[in-house]
Amino acid sequence: MVIKLWDGFIRSFHWLLVLAIAGLWYTGGNIDYIDLHHRLGVFVLALILTRILWGIFGSESGRFSRFVRSPKAVVYYLKAPFASTWLTHNPIGGWAVILMLAALLAQAVSGLFTDDAIFFRGPLAHLVSQDWVRTLTSFHKQLFDWILVLLALHILANIVYAVRGKNLITPMITGNLKTEKNDLTPPKQVHPGFGFILFAINVTVLFWWLT
Amino acid sequence: MKNTQPARSLTVRVLLASMAGLTLLTGAAVGINTAQASAFTNASDAVEYRQKTFSLIRENFQYMASMVRGERDFDAEMFKTRANTLYHLSHVPFEAFTGAGENATANSDALPVIWENWSDFEAKRDTFQAAVKELVAAAESENMREIRPKFMDTARSCQQCHQGYRAD
Repeated sequence: MVIKLWDGFIRSFHWLLVLAIAGLWYTGGNIDYIDLHHRLGVFVLALILTRILWGIFGSESGRFSRFVRSPKAVVYYLKAPFASTWLTHNPIGGWAVILMLAALLAQAVSGLFTDDAIFFRGPLAHLVSQDWVRTLTSFHKQLFDWILVLLALHILANIVYAVRGKNLITPMITGNLKTEKNDLTPPKQVHPGFGFILFAINVTVLFWWLT
Repeated sequence: MKNTQPARSLTVRVLLASMAGLTLLTGAAVGINTAQASAFTNASDAVEYRQKTFSLIRENFQYMASMVRGERDFDAEMFKTRANTLYHLSHVPFEAFTGAGENATANSDALPVIWENWSDFEAKRDTFQAAVKELVAAAESENMREIRPKFMDTARSCQQCHQGYRAD
């Protein structure tokens, strides 16, 4: 059977995030593009915040309550990771999503407090002491390396699953999961339009506030 | 009265002489202190001098940045003034990079590697000063399209030196 797994909002979120992170990687640390880096960072912040809201109010497959599982469930899952079919993130993948979202959120927020000692000063840097600005600036530089490690692991895991016969990538593009099982209840979908409306509101408010 | 006068003037003379001696000594002492401060044999003085002048450089650079980035209306006269001030300032902090001992002070962001790669540091300093000079010349054009690339050259020269020579 074919199951609608990922709604249009989640898929747009995912691939916009990929593009934005590539842009942020390229523009980060390049003084000529610092203003673009700033805007892309605020854009990512809006994406992440909307994804968090979508994880509470959105389609079932993308809800935290559904894919955040206990360590026990993770251990149980890891005994046979390629045997079961999940209509959301699998137990280990769910934690990977939480980790990536948390890291990207920390990265986007810390960027707002940075100061390049030349001419860029984050829009919230004035709220904290100079010592904190220094700390958050180096944090922002160091965390990015860890984000790259997380993304490398994310890509590697998807390759491993694909090699072992579980293609997780196609559903993230088409939204549909093809499976031989016929007894699965498709996750309830919320119209992606609500996600896009939430995102539009977040983008507008954050750009008005932070750029 | 007449008998006491010589004795008095002797007292006065001794007093004056000792005052003069004291003044000389004090003056000499002050003189030595001044010499020490300007030659930056005192590490924390040198660090403070650099930090103060770099913060003035930054102040002026950021003012210009706000015009280059369109956050503030372009005022050609004000821009020229700031560019000139930056030019004068561009030499000042480097007079206080006098010795490797200075970075021992906890408050300095200047990395010890500066004194290990001194000629490279000097080259980067020269790049910065040359960029500022070109910025001043571009400012005379009163044309933002000519100013912007020179301004970015200067910004890049700051960054190239910060990378590796300034603590994160």
